[in-house]
Amino acid sequence: ASVALSEAEKVYIVHGVQEDLRVDGRGCEDYRCVEVETDVVSNTSGSARVKLGHTDILVGVKAEMGTPKLEKPNEGYLEFFVDCSANATPEFEGRGGDDLGTEIANTLYRIFNNKSSVDLRSLCISPREHCWVLYVDVLLLECGGNLFDAISIAVKAALFNTRIPRVRVLEDEEGAKDIELSDDPYDCIRLSVENVPCIVTLCKIGCRHVVDATLQEEACSLASLLVSVTSKGVVTCMRKVGKGSLDPESIFEMMESSKRVGKVLHVSLQSLLHKEESLGPKRPRVGFLG
Amino acid sequence: MLRSKTFLKKTRAGGVVKIVREHYLRDDIGCGAPACSACGGAHAGPALELQPRDQASSLCPWPHYLLPDTNVLLHQIDVLEHPAIRNVIVLQTVMQEVRNRSAPIYKRIRDVTNNQEKHFYTFTNEHHKETYIEQEQGENANDRNDRAIRVAAKWYNEHLKRVAADSQLQVILITNDRKNKEKAVQEGIPAFTCEEYVKSLTANPELIDRLAYLSDEMNEIESGKIIFSEHLPLSKLQQGIKSGSYLQGTFRASRENYLEATVWIHGDKEEEKEILIQGIKHLNRAVHEDIVAVELLPRSQWVAPSSVVLDDEGQNEDDVEKDEERELLLKTAVSEKMLRPTGRVVGIIKRNWRPYCGMLSKSDIKESRRHLFTPADKRIPRIRIETRQASALEGRRIIVAIDGWPRNSRYPNGHFVKNLGDVGEKETETEVLLLEHDVPHQPFSQAVLSFLPRMPWSITEEDMKNREDLRHLCVCSVDPPGCTDIDDALHCRELSNGNLEVGVHIADVSHFIRPGNALDQESARRGTTVYLCEKRIDMVPELLSSNLCSLRSNVDRLAFSCIWEMNHNAEILKTRFTKSVINSKASLTYAEAQMRIDSAAMNDDITTSLRGLNQLAKILKKGRIEKGALTLSSPEIRFHMDSETHDPIDLQTKELRETNSMVEEFMLLANISVAKKIHEEFSEHALLRKHPAPPPSNYDILVKAAKSKNLQIKTDTAKSLADSLDRAESPDFPYLNTLLRILATRCMMQAVYFCSGMDNDFHHYGLASPIYTHFTSPIRRYADIIVHRLLAVAIGADCTYPELTDKHKLSDICKNLNFRHKMAQYAQRASVAFHTQLFFKSKGIVSEEAYILFVRKNAIVVLIPKYGLEGTVFFEEKDKPKPRLAYDDEIPSLRIEGTVFHVFDKVKVKITLDSSNLQHQKIRMALVEPQIPGINIPPNVADKALTAPGGKKRKLEK
Repeated sequence: ASVALSEAEKVYIVHGVQEDLRVDGRGCEDYRCVEVETDVVSNTSGSARVKLGHTDILVGVKAEMGTPKLEKPNEGYLEFFVDCSANATPEFEGRGGDDLGTEIANTLYRIFNNKSSVDLRSLCISPREHCWVLYVDVLLLECGGNLFDAISIAVKAALFNTRIPRVRVLEDEEGAKDIELSDDPYDCIRLSVENVPCIVTLCKIGCRHVVDATLQEEACSLASLLVSVTSKGVVTCMRKVGKGSLDPESIFEMMESSKRVGKVLHVSLQSLLHKEESLGPKRPRVGFLG
Repeated sequence: MLRSKTFLKKTRAGGVVKIVREHYLRDDIGCGAPACSACGGAHAGPALELQPRDQASSLCPWPHYLLPDTNVLLHQIDVLEHPAIRNVIVLQTVMQEVRNRSAPIYKRIRDVTNNQEKHFYTFTNEHHKETYIEQEQGENANDRNDRAIRVAAKWYNEHLKRVAADSQLQVILITNDRKNKEKAVQEGIPAFTCEEYVKSLTANPELIDRLAYLSDEMNEIESGKIIFSEHLPLSKLQQGIKSGSYLQGTFRASRENYLEATVWIHGDKEEEKEILIQGIKHLNRAVHEDIVAVELLPRSQWVAPSSVVLDDEGQNEDDVEKDEERELLLKTAVSEKMLRPTGRVVGIIKRNWRPYCGMLSKSDIKESRRHLFTPADKRIPRIRIETRQASALEGRRIIVAIDGWPRNSRYPNGHFVKNLGDVGEKETETEVLLLEHDVPHQPFSQAVLSFLPRMPWSITEEDMKNREDLRHLCVCSVDPPGCTDIDDALHCRELSNGNLEVGVHIADVSHFIRPGNALDQESARRGTTVYLCEKRIDMVPELLSSNLCSLRSNVDRLAFSCIWEMNHNAEILKTRFTKSVINSKASLTYAEAQMRIDSAAMNDDITTSLRGLNQLAKILKKGRIEKGALTLSSPEIRFHMDSETHDPIDLQTKELRETNSMVEEFMLLANISVAKKIHEEFSEHALLRKHPAPPPSNYDILVKAAKSKNLQIKTDTAKSLADSLDRAESPDFPYLNTLLRILATRCMMQAVYFCSGMDNDFHHYGLASPIYTHFTSPIRRYADIIVHRLLAVAIGADCTYPELTDKHKLSDICKNLNFRHKMAQYAQRASVAFHTQLFFKSKGIVSEEAYILFVRKNAIVVLIPKYGLEGTVFFEEKDKPKPRLAYDDEIPSLRIEGTVFHVFDKVKVKITLDSSNLQHQKIRMALVEPQIPGINIPPNVADKALTAPGGKKRKLEK
């Protein structure tokens, strides 16, 4: 997704950033307003919808029974799939969104590919035989810049919302195993999302960098840096996108600001999710009609 | 208002799926009380009474409705069905639970709720805005349903108070769950247990007997000793079956020995198809027809099936020691070879209990309320019931249902359901045999009758669409005397080109029975009309069977016609099928038709038509026999009934006339023509009938028997069998041929319905036809209705419907039809047997000539041609010295003392009625000629023998 800007418009944006004043009035390290709602799709195990400016993301998590991977017999695993809906932009029609989808999915695999982000051991039902596989399906409904950050927030919210049914493994004398499902739908496992990282994307515009770039700002940037940060400010993964180059000094600066911004982002997301949950199952739903 | 219901489900593959259903809540569901101002009369169908007055309960004297919970419905359905129980609210929650747990009870409660008289109202509480509740945290599904029931009860009470404050109307929750009751009382809902309530109905003390007797405490007091090992829970059984340590199968108790049973293993492993279970502990409370899990015992504990006949005679309830002694008796020394896989029952997967017919064996102790019930079916154990009307029930046939079988009880517990009447009474016995053969015989329900055409009925313009007017043809029907359901009629006329036009006209039942409605479902369930000796159990309501569908003379009737153009050599030149209107000119009996054909004086249209048909039929029959069709024989008997008492006064074997065979030939031809047509049109889902060729070994007995009379029977093909049967004549023994044909019938396989897409062997062995179906009797067979529908679609006279072209559905229908036909046949035989008994009861002792049909190790089976009656003459009797018997399997023959018996030998036997066992009266035969010392009973002794059973009877009654 991209917009066509004239030279004059670009100059206007770049000069504004120079002065720490962006087109919509934000400073360089300010996010746009984020809207989060969880439990929006009833037939998933967990779901969340995030709106960040004009970017609109829906994430569903589906827990299914599977067999653990050979090299990790005691762990479950996550699978990511990103669907770029042609509703978001006509460019995605047909197979147009596949490349972007794969790129985002790969990024997600990378940021979750460490022991601390999710406790995969808790997804194991019986070693080598059964485990939970969490299928994380991301749907892009609208692109308004800063896709990665919005997606990572939505994934985290959806994982927070995920409820995995509690099962017990029964074993008889011969060692034959059978899985028994609890008949209480409230009896389920929650995941700890404490260490799930969020992505903070920093766009290099002119000689400064901004977080949460809009589509127009992204058009002015030649290079940006994706930094995944945990709530404690630990950087778990980093990736440079765009065709421009970055000098080491500015990379260092960008990392520092990503940690700073990331921490704040995590804190406000966490408090929002807890607040929503405290409203209980009777809370009014906004959904897609709100 | 929309809610979504979410629940988790385990799939068969082992996964867990989350299922979300939309659930709509409404505010316009009525409470069912008539004239309720708040929710209006928005309901058709049965509703509650405005002022339920007739229930005089001492617990709650004011007017009230009942609201039972699931378990009450499941276990106390017999109480609820009693006419005294009325004004009951059945919640949707309860209905759904019952449906999941027991299909037969669900069916019964549906019948009750549809009955206007009972005033049962089904309240859809799950969709009512105020009574719908969601499962809460920490609550399981059962708790949630209990709460839903309480919420509905509370809502009802408040609702009624608001609507009719002055009437003091109440809703009483009936629950046997103690916790649920306590909670209800706390919430201010009047609640009683079923027992409390029923006992408070002082006007109807007989209801107490119907109470299922479940409370565990009662049994525990009675005897603490545990006889049986525990049944494993279902989840463990399923695991065991999966891993192969247990086997699943149908439990079949032995008729002869109450301590023995076999379990037919489901599945396709050939070797261990059948597992023997011996001994009361290994049988472990399984009842005939239950689906059980068995564990195979180690080879060292395998036993052989015993040949001992053992009846359970224990009157004392817990003679387990005696049983153990008897078990030892079974374990006689046997050779290794005889050992069979033996197992023990570890758990019950599905109970297949049904209400059982039988008689009460009154307890020895006077005043005792606990009695044993002996079912008519010997494979069912005795059942302990509690009743206060024991003396009234003595000597009656009653129905009892099993409630449960605790571990410490020698017998299952049950409760009394219904009194059928005195034993030996014709109505009672007929009811018993219908129930025992699972023949649906209740009057047609209102729902079914509502689909009947309105009277007076006449043919409308609409009906004439796609229909040919054949009223001008000279059609007539030929049937047995007294037949009211005439489903076929015939005509034959000469065409201008010299050829003959022959038509078979079949009642168009499918015009009246439309697919899928209640009438259709009921006839599909019944499957066939059952003809008993003096009664007919109709498959379709009488209005159709004896009036609108019956092709009576001189009225316009709708028909489905099959019309051929034939030349004078009976070769078919053209076949066509059409729906039509006919007007039969005459309904003749076989004898009348025969008379017309034979008398030269008659030359009217009908008679010429009949002669033409008869001519063609003869040619057709010849052609068929040349192709190898079998002419078999079975002795059929008819009773001459006394017109006043309806008791049989004489019996005779059915006579066969030329006209019988004439009608039969054309029916066969029509069936074959239709079978070809529907198979051509619907190769995957035509309903056909096949008759498999019997395996060669089946004929052994026939070949051997013929050999003993120096005759040769070839059995390699149907044709050679038919030919050799024709040739097997003996000038000095004219009945021999009939005997051989009777024997040949016994060698045959059962003919069955099937769906053409599910099978590839279509051959009909007996008729020597490559394809066959049933088309000609839609009034009395459901298969024919389906065939009519298929044919109608094939010729474009009617529209199709999805089930018709679903081969799995069709195959299910075939399965039911085959079962119903078999049962109808058994019921028919049982009815003949009962009437034979009645006949001999009035006739006293008679001696008749008989022929030996089979020779057994210790008996001969004889057939008395005069009565078409078959019976066994035993040569070994209890408490008598055994005669010297020598059995030769090869010939086969039996030598007793000095006399040798062969198959087909002529003997003379004495026929008596043995009523030593009240429940199982039977015809007993004894040898009179040839005389063998020690075997024959001299006439004077015979009289004594007859009185002896009476003495035994008296002893039993004590």
